[in-house]
This record gives sequence, structure tokens and C-alpha cells, in this order.
Amino acid sequence: MTISIPTAVLIIVLGLVGIGIYALLTTRHLIKVIVALQLLVKGAMLALVLAGHLTGQDDLGQSLAITVIIADTIVAVIGMALAVQVRRVVGTLDLRSLTSLRR
Amino acid sequence: MAELLILLTIGLPWLGALFCWAAGDRHPRLQHGLAVAFSLAAGIAALLLIPFGKDQVLITLSVGGAFGNFTFSPDGLGVFLAAVATVIGSLAVIFSVDYMRSEDQLGRYYAFVLFFIGAMVGLVLTTNLLLMFAFWEITALTSYALISFHNDDLKAVAGGIKALIITQFGGLGLLIGALVLFANTGSYDILTIIANPGILPAGALAWMAFGCLAAGAAKSAQFPFQTWLPDAMEAPTPVSALIHAATMVNAGVYLLARFFPAFEGVPGWREAVMAVGMLSALLAAVMAIFATDLKRVLAYSTVSQLGYMVYAVGAGGIFAAQFHLLSHSVFKALLFLGAGAVIHSVGTRDMRQMGGLGKNMPFVRLVFVIGALALAGLPVLNGFWSKELILEAGLAHGNPLWMLFVMLVVSGLTAFYSFRMVWLVFYGQPRAELHAHDAGPAMKVALAPLAIGTLTTWLLAGSFSRLLSESLPAHQIAAHSTGEILLEVLTAPITLIALLVIALGLVCWWQRDRLAGVKRALTGLQITATNSFGFEAVNRAVVLGAQNSAEKLRSTQTGVLGWNVAYLVIALIGVLAILLLGVGLP
Amino acid sequence: MTANTAFLLAVGLPVAASPVIYLIGRIAERKNPKIDLARWLALLILLADGYFLFIAGSEFLTTHHELLVSIGAVSLRLDGIALLLAIAVLALGTLVTMFSGPAIARDSGRETYFALLTAMIGTMIGLGAADDLFNLWVWFECMALCSYVLVAFHRNEAAALEAGVKYLVQSALGTVLVLLAIGLVFTNTGSLDLDEIRVAAQPSGLMLAAGALFIIGFGVKSALVPLHTWLPDAHSQAPSGISAMLSGVVIEAGLVAMLRALGALHLVTVSWGALLLGFAAVNMLVGNLMALRQTQVKRLLAYSSLSHMGYILLGVGAGAVIGSEYSAAGGFFHILTHAMMKGLAFLAAGALLYCLHQANDNHNPLVVDDLNGASRKYPLTAFAFSVAVLGLGGLPPLAGFMSKWQIFVGGFQTGNAWIIALVVFAGLNSVLSLGYYAPLVNRLYRRQPAEIVEQGKPMPVLMTVTMVILSLGVVVLGFWPSLADWLTGPAAQSLLMLFGG
Repeated sequence: MTISIPTAVLIIVLGLVGIGIYALLTTRHLIKVIVALQLLVKGAMLALVLAGHLTGQDDLGQSLAITVIIADTIVAVIGMALAVQVRRVVGTLDLRSLTSLRR
Repeated sequence: MAELLILLTIGLPWLGALFCWAAGDRHPRLQHGLAVAFSLAAGIAALLLIPFGKDQVLITLSVGGAFGNFTFSPDGLGVFLAAVATVIGSLAVIFSVDYMRSEDQLGRYYAFVLFFIGAMVGLVLTTNLLLMFAFWEITALTSYALISFHNDDLKAVAGGIKALIITQFGGLGLLIGALVLFANTGSYDILTIIANPGILPAGALAWMAFGCLAAGAAKSAQFPFQTWLPDAMEAPTPVSALIHAATMVNAGVYLLARFFPAFEGVPGWREAVMAVGMLSALLAAVMAIFATDLKRVLAYSTVSQLGYMVYAVGAGGIFAAQFHLLSHSVFKALLFLGAGAVIHSVGTRDMRQMGGLGKNMPFVRLVFVIGALALAGLPVLNGFWSKELILEAGLAHGNPLWMLFVMLVVSGLTAFYSFRMVWLVFYGQPRAELHAHDAGPAMKVALAPLAIGTLTTWLLAGSFSRLLSESLPAHQIAAHSTGEILLEVLTAPITLIALLVIALGLVCWWQRDRLAGVKRALTGLQITATNSFGFEAVNRAVVLGAQNSAEKLRSTQTGVLGWNVAYLVIALIGVLAILLLGVGLP
Repeated sequence: MTANTAFLLAVGLPVAASPVIYLIGRIAERKNPKIDLARWLALLILLADGYFLFIAGSEFLTTHHELLVSIGAVSLRLDGIALLLAIAVLALGTLVTMFSGPAIARDSGRETYFALLTAMIGTMIGLGAADDLFNLWVWFECMALCSYVLVAFHRNEAAALEAGVKYLVQSALGTVLVLLAIGLVFTNTGSLDLDEIRVAAQPSGLMLAAGALFIIGFGVKSALVPLHTWLPDAHSQAPSGISAMLSGVVIEAGLVAMLRALGALHLVTVSWGALLLGFAAVNMLVGNLMALRQTQVKRLLAYSSLSHMGYILLGVGAGAVIGSEYSAAGGFFHILTHAMMKGLAFLAAGALLYCLHQANDNHNPLVVDDLNGASRKYPLTAFAFSVAVLGLGGLPPLAGFMSKWQIFVGGFQTGNAWIIALVVFAGLNSVLSLGYYAPLVNRLYRRQPAEIVEQGKPMPVLMTVTMVILSLGVVVLGFWPSLADWLTGPAAQSLLMLFGG
């Protein structure tokens, strides 16, 4: 059985998104949360490239992906900056200590 | 001319409100003066407006779209209530000069009183149902603000919010009515629907009719919404006199009377209105018999008397209802302001601590007794004539006689609690060391005209009936002279019966010691009545239910990021499922 | 200057000026921190932007032709919705900039604040006007990026950081879902242009999935329940000016983005509007119940935003489902009035927070007990706050009454039993909401001020000025609601065209 490249990419996309969401739901470490977000965005980005390929507009798909990378990098930077501050102010990166805002 | 007068009657109090607020609380004398001047000016404008009473739209402000045209018309119902609102309003303001002398935050007090007067005038003069609803809500807002004027007192705050929420809840009925009207006719014009109710489909008309009944019942503190009025007695007494006796609570009766020609054909509506009025009159009268707080007795009696008016509207006696409204506004304002003078003087509202106050307050005793006799329905005071007219209306149109019987019983109860109240406050032996002094000069200035009014307003019956008959063609009110109306009352057999019942009520109070056995037998009733027949329990349950569910719901905000993400995923799955399985593809 | 150029400038100027504000502000901060140059520069930029928007907007309103501009891959379209959002954002943004001068005067990083605020305003104007699905996402993401930093502006407070983290994670997850949806739509239709998608998108399971992803992805930002969990945290912890922006316009911008995306899929199913109506019911109830027992003022206001989003959804949803113009206009009118009222409420709460706590160097939140007797010392602020919350409760003669009324009228006019029932439910919710708005007002007017009020610092003039301006707006629109018709009418027509035409 052979798997076509688009199918393989699709599986990777679904895998990345699935792992990302699973990680978001279960992890208790702030850095891991940011990594999970990265996985998710990479999956979505791959989906855009795939979409461009499937519709015969490879260049458009890739330019979308590059834009997403830029935006996503900024998100990661802000996320890491927040993490640094959290570590400084709260003293830990454990999400269980970030539950003061309730009810 | 009439256009200008309409604008002045609404605008002057509002302008006065702005000035009183802007004057600042460091100048109380200026604030008193401004409030009196503006309310008197509005009163004069309203009185001048009366001769212009007709059913034509005189002012049209074109707003358009979903808001319709803002229209005003000075018909008989409107100008009469505008006059009541502004005249009694200015008397209440004059009374406040003494009553509120040493109070803080006068700017807020007068601003809201004047804001209320203007809104009340707008409410009765507009013929745009949206605008009527807006004014309706403004009166609710001002009533709330004034009930909880003493914000430091938790009871006052609770009373204010209770009044606001209950009247707003009922007000939804009027909201529905207005929306139904607009959705079906594309306009909010009241005159059109009254002249020709057929433009609405029967079902829509029924929704509108019963919606207005709910709104009117909530505003006029009628069954089953009556509970807010007694708690509203935390307001400064002039406010109780003005808003919770003489004007705002009449808005419900006004609404029902205004729309009577449109709704009378709706199956079951008239019977429902009569039943609401009868139940309110009866329950409140029983509660008044057992109450010990002077202002609460007056509040219950207000509910009860408003019940008479609502009953009269249901029975088809529009003139009787409005005439009683006039009498009641005058004598109840008198009673409230008189009670205010007593409370201001002795510093308590508990009648069990009063007694024998008449010696030190002869003037207040005199006017209070006049008011109480009118409330009891004794001839020849104004309350007598209008109440008899209502009972007569109950006989007409094939209305159910058992309801009339209940109303007769209530008039006996009314006599009973009126005498009880007067006796407990002014006569007998003093039951506590209270230092009473008679009313101040401004208080007397306010009380005297009301007392004179209580003795004389029945003489206006003829011109009042002519005003209503000429300017409200759809209501089909016959014009009679004063003489004719009085003769009709005096010769009607029901009058005699009513007088006998009233006398019976009087005798019962006189012979109360001999009736001790009866009193014991009624202990159960007393307990139920002081517990407001269970209505307060329902209120509390609703409030607690809302608070508890709110508190439970708050636990869904876990503060845990993982849960927040989980909600998101669940919502996504839910929406997907709904789209794919449920509403799906077209 | 042509209208098109003016429009391009209106979108581009704040974004382009943002780094300049930062740089100049940074330099000025080193030289002389007292001048606070960044704030004045930002204000100047926003006023200039208002002028450009005025030129572009009046062209659109007089000719009734949408303005279409594109440079490179960026394409913009000025229609009724875009104009309404732009005006709301710019007006509130300018007032918030005025207000924030004194409010954050004691914090470091002011130049960052004003630069990001200006950029956020620009990106929201762009978002409203985006004419291409991917452009829409980029504007949306840029707006989100600015807001992440602004929410966590008090970067030495644990609570602010916690709020920032939660907001960032949930919002970023939302944008990923939007990207996936874009991928689906792109695959299916081969285009990203909204007009082309409108024609090409046909009913299919995948397109339904794309729509669901749009609803959830954008719904995170527009605070649909149960995606709202970030909102009370972010709105209560952000600087008050930012809370006003978030609640007043940012969540509404999220809704506009969602409407644009769903509008492009209008052929796929007629149920988009019905779904929005479902969220409307849940939002109103949950928002009100959650707010009922709150003790922190800003958190209470944040929850009340959920219920107001419900009213907006009721109007917009009925517009989308039945094509009721009054509903749609009412929904957009409520966006405007809510921006004013909730903006005012947050600013007044922020002003009190500043005078009572921050100016005295403590970082406690403003709790309802702090309001006791505040009118004795801060009469104008207390009045403004009362106007705001009573207006939110829907009492006349304030703007909130009229906008709710318009939504209700539209709902009844549809003649649809479900929508009518929903309107009655909304009315009940308004009554319920008074249960938490009214006690706040009572507290303000107590005779005996709270101790903390007596120790409060004087109110800065600029704060008072902004609050007076907003209060006047709320009262004037309450007396004469049709003053906003020129703005809400075209927006409603644009919405009906999105979902029907």
C-alpha cells in the first residue's frame, strides 16, 4: 500500500493538531504549553501549504505559510517573555500555581 | 399655545432637576427655592393645559425607523393626570422644605423628584407607546432612586431594588404590547389602536391586552405584584405621598383605562382585570387591619384602593375609576403627608408607640381625620362619591355579583382599619414618651390645600365627566352634570348598602373589646396576613434561587488553563455535531 | 486627496506610526520623563486618522459605493460594517488614549503602551475592512498580538501575568482553528477572496466544518460562552483603559471577523445565524448569572460583557437568519452604545481604582466595598459610573435602552416564534441584570464614605474630561436614538448583503 504525498501531509497535519491539543489539555508546564501551541500552528501552516498544493497554487500556499511563521514567531516570543516574567514573579512555571483567578 | 404648555409641563421639572443638581449641596436654601419654583410653574402650566383637552396629536417629533414618531396629545385622561402629578408634586416639594430641612444630598433628592414629575407628565401625555414605555421606565428608575435615597440603610436599598425589579418584570408586559403593536402595524400610535382595535389580529391583541394587564398590575402594586409597595415605604415620606400614593402607582390604572376600548373585546380580559382588582383590594385590606407600621397601613390601603380602581376599569366604569383616582390622589397624599408630619415629629413609624398625639398636633389631627374619613368612604367627602360610583359600575354590564359582594365587604374593612389607624395615632392614652410638635409652616401650606381638596373635589364631577367625554370619543363616556351624578349616587340602592357596611366596620372598631373572641378566632388569618399571604416567601425563594444558581455556576470558572482549553474543544465538537447532525445542510 | 487614499491612510497611519511613537517616546523618556511625549504623539496620530476616516467615510455615505483599495496582497473594502467598527474603535481609542495618560503615569513602559494601543486601533480598523480571508486572519492576529502585551502590561503582578498567559493560549488556539478553517475553504474553493468564496462555497460537510472552526476560532475572541473563560481574567487584570478597549471594541471586532468569514460561506447553510442566536441565549444568561455575585468591580463588568455580547448576537443573528433590517441595525447600534457604556464603566472604575489604590501605591483590585460613598469625593465619576451601569441595565433615558429596544423590535418583526421567545428572554435578562447594576449605584451614593475613599487622591482632569464626554454621548443617544441611524443603517444593509445578497 502506498500513501500519496498529500495524504501523508494530511496525516501529519492531523497528528500535529491532535498532539498539540492533547498537550494543551494535559500539560502543567508553561514552556510545554508554548511548545504545544507551536505544534498546533505548524500543523495549520502545513495545512495551508497542502491547500495551496491541492488547488495548484503552490506559491500562494507557501507565502501564506511564511506569513504565518512570522506571526507565530511573535506569539512564541511574547509567550516566552510572559514565561520569563512568570518565573520571576511567581517563582515557578507550573500551571497549578497560575490558578488564582477563579469564579 | 397648547403645544408650548405640553413642552413646559414636561420640560420645566426636568430643567428644575438639572438646576437643583447643579446648584450643589452647599446651598440648600437655593435648592429648596429652585425645586418649589419649578414644580409650581409646572403645576400652573398643567392647570392651564386642561381647557385644551382634546384627542388630537399636537406635537410630533419625527424620529423614525424603529422608534416611530414621538407624539404628544392632551386628551382628558392625559391632562387630568398631568395636573394631578404636577399639583400634588409641587405640594410634596413644598412639604419637603420642612421635612427634608436637615437632610444631606438635597440635590439628588430634588433632582429625582422633579425628574419624576416630568416623566409622569410625559407618560400620560404621549401617544407613542415606545415613548410611554420609556417614561414608564423612567418613573421606575426615579422611584427606585428615591426609595433608596437613604443608601446607608440596607432596608432602603433592598426596598428600592425590589421595587425596581418587580415593576420592571411586570413592565415586560408593556414591552411585549408595544412590540406586538409595532410589529403588526408599523407604528406605535396609541390613538389608532384605540379607535380601531381590529387592525391587530385577535391573537396579537390578546397578547397586548394581557401584557398591559401585567404591566399595569406591577406598576399599581396589584395582585400578584403587590409586595413591592409596602417595602417602598422606606422612602422619605413626601416621596411616598407623591410617587407611591398619588401619581406613579396610578400609571397602571391609567394604562388599563387608556386601552380599555381596544381590549374590552378580548375574551376574558375584563374578568381578569376585575379579578386582579378584587383580589388586591381584599388581600391588602386584610393586611392593613393587622399592620402596625403607620406607613405600611397607608401602603396597604393604597393597594386596596387601587384595587377598587382596577376593578372599576374591568367593570367598564372608566369614569368611576378615574374619578376615584382623583379623589384617592388627593386624600391619600393628604394622609401620607399628615403621616409624614407625625413621623417627622415623633421619630417613629410604629403605631404601637403612638397614641394621644392629637393633643400636641391639632392641625395634623384635623387634616388626617378628614383624609381618613374620605378613605373610609363617609359622605360627603370625595372618597364617598367616587367609591359609590365604582360599586354602581360593578352592578352594570352583567358583571359578576359575587365580586361586587367582595368589594362591599372590603369597604367595611376599609372603614375598620381607617378608624383603627386614626385612633391608634391620635387618640387614647400615649403609649410611649414621645415629644410631639405640630407641623411646620411649609408642611401646613402643603396640607391645607389637600384637606380642602378632600372636602371639595367631588364638586368637579360634572366638568370632569364632560372633559373625559369630549376628549375620549372611543371610551364612550357619557357627560353628566354634577347634580345628575350626585343624585344618581344618592338614589342608588347600593349606596345605602355600602353605607351600612361602612357603619358596620365602624361599629366593629367601636365594640372591639366585645369582639375579642372573634379576634382570637382570626389569629391564624393575622399570622398569614402579616406574612403577606406567602407572597414574600415566593419573592425570597426567587431571589435565593437566582443567587444560588449564580453561585453554583461560578464554579465553572475553574481558573485552570486545561479546563479552559477543554471547554473550547467541547464547544467545537458541539457546534460540529449540531451542524452535521442537526440543522445540517439545507 | 481622494477618498481611496484617505481610506488607505486611515488604516495604515496608526500601524505605521506605532514604531515611531515607540522610538520617539523611548528617547523622550530618557531625556525628560515628565513630558510623556508618546501619549501626545499617539493622540495626534489618532486625530489625524479621524480626519482621514472622515473623508473616506463621507465619500462612502454620500455615494453609497463601497470603497475598494488594494496594494500588493493587502486588499481593503470600506462598507457599512467596516465604517461602523472603524468609528467605534477610533473614537473609543482616542478617549482611552486621553484617559491613559494619567492612569499609567506611574508605570514604566509607557511608550510601549501607547505604541501598541495605536497599533491595535489601526489593526482593528484594518480587520473591519479586510476583503480577503487570509488578510482577515493577519489583521486579527496582529490585533491579538498587541492585546496580549497590553493585557499583561503590569508585568510585575502575578495576576496580570496569569491573565496574560491564559488569554494568549486560548486566543492562539483560536487563531489556529481559524487557520485550519482557511485551509479547508482554500482547498475547497481555490480562492481566498471573500467575494469569490461567496460564489464558490457550496454545501458540503467540509465547509460545515470550516464554518464551525470559524465560529469557535473567532468566537474565542468575541467571548461566546463557553469560550469566554479568558475574558473575566484579562478584562479585570488589564490596565483600565485596555479593559475598556477589550470590552468595548475588541470582542466586537472578533464578532465582525466571524461575520465576514461566515458571510462568505452563506450558501453552505442557512444555520449560521441560528447558531449565533443559540449563543445569544447562553451568553445572556451565563453572563448575568456570573456577574450577579461578583465582588470585584472590573470582574463584574467583564462578565456583564458576556451578556451584552448576547444582545448583539441576538440582533445580528436575527439579521442573518431572517434578514430583519431592524434587528441587524439594532445589533450594530448596540455595538456602538455598548462601546460607549462599557467603555465608560471601565474608565470610571479605572479612575476610581487609580485614585483609591494605584495612586496610593497598592495593587489591590477595586472591590464593590470601595465604592461606598464615592460620590462624596468624586461626584462626577460616581455620576458617570451610574450613567454607565444604568445604561447597561437598559434604563431610559440612556443609550442602552434604545439599542436594546431596536434589537427587540427587529426580533418581533420577524414574526418567528423562536426569535420572539428569545426577545422576551432577553427582556427577562435585562431585569436580572439590574440585580447587580443597581446595588453598585446605591453604594456610590452612600452618605458615609469608605475609609479608602477618604484617603483617595484627587481625580486627574483628563480622566474627568473623558468620562464627561462619554456620559454625554450615552445620554444624548438615549434621548435621540436616530442620531446613530446614518451609521447603523448602512452597517445593517452590509450585513444583510453578506448573508443574503
